[in-house]
Amino acid sequence: MTEQVAPARVDRDALRRQISDKYRAVALDPQSGFHFHTGRPLALMLGYDPAEVDALPPSAVESFAGTGNPLSLGRLRPGETVVDIGCGAGFDTLLAARQVGPGGRVLALDMTDAMLEKARLGAEALGLKNVELRTGYAEDLPVASGFADVVISNGVINLTPDKLAVMREIARVLRPGGRFQIGDIIVQTPVPQDAKDDIDLWSG
Amino acid sequence: MEQAGFRDIRWGTRVDVFSGSAHESDAKDFGTLGITIGGRKPTQRG
Repeated sequence: MTEQVAPARVDRDALRRQISDKYRAVALDPQSGFHFHTGRPLALMLGYDPAEVDALPPSAVESFAGTGNPLSLGRLRPGETVVDIGCGAGFDTLLAARQVGPGGRVLALDMTDAMLEKARLGAEALGLKNVELRTGYAEDLPVASGFADVVISNGVINLTPDKLAVMREIARVLRPGGRFQIGDIIVQTPVPQDAKDDIDLWSG
Repeated sequence: MEQAGFRDIRWGTRVDVFSGSAHESDAKDFGTLGITIGGRKPTQRG
């Protein structure tokens, strides 16, 4: 049996602005302290390989704010096409780009320009030519249907008010037989509707 | 995820990702965990 989850009743544009402001701060001032963990300690908590983390540009690591390790569900295969939704400073994007190799590609999307700039600099620092960055929203991906072999995302879908719309977009951009590998959060106690509808609770 | 058409849903790790953070108390109230989850788009609809 599948439970229908009602979307939160929030102003989507206002929520996007508030979340983007928060993650702009994570990009520009990652040491300032947030209500969630960030950076290398978080990556190790989530089970990323320390050697792989340390091989990434510090700028990508310091602004990492994921909630899981999508790549722990299985390594990406050489030549695969990947979409990274909410790529942030490029932490998972860069790991994915290395896994798929020069014959593959990673299309990384984020709504926060400061994060996209850090991801761009990270790809440049590693000499990765198979990374493309675009501004975009999870509910309306600027990606052709059937484009991707794999969609990854980390700590992003919980920040969107309509999860089902996001999952339908993921299904749209995946080729038949494609897969998603996502890190995110779950709650084990139902969140009251009035709390879901309070925009100030979304980004802390 | 099944409503979006995905199949072969599988759960990976679960981590108390807010432990020790400023958000820990609120997170504990709702049993919040960091998770990984995967699934597959069928080769044919139906």
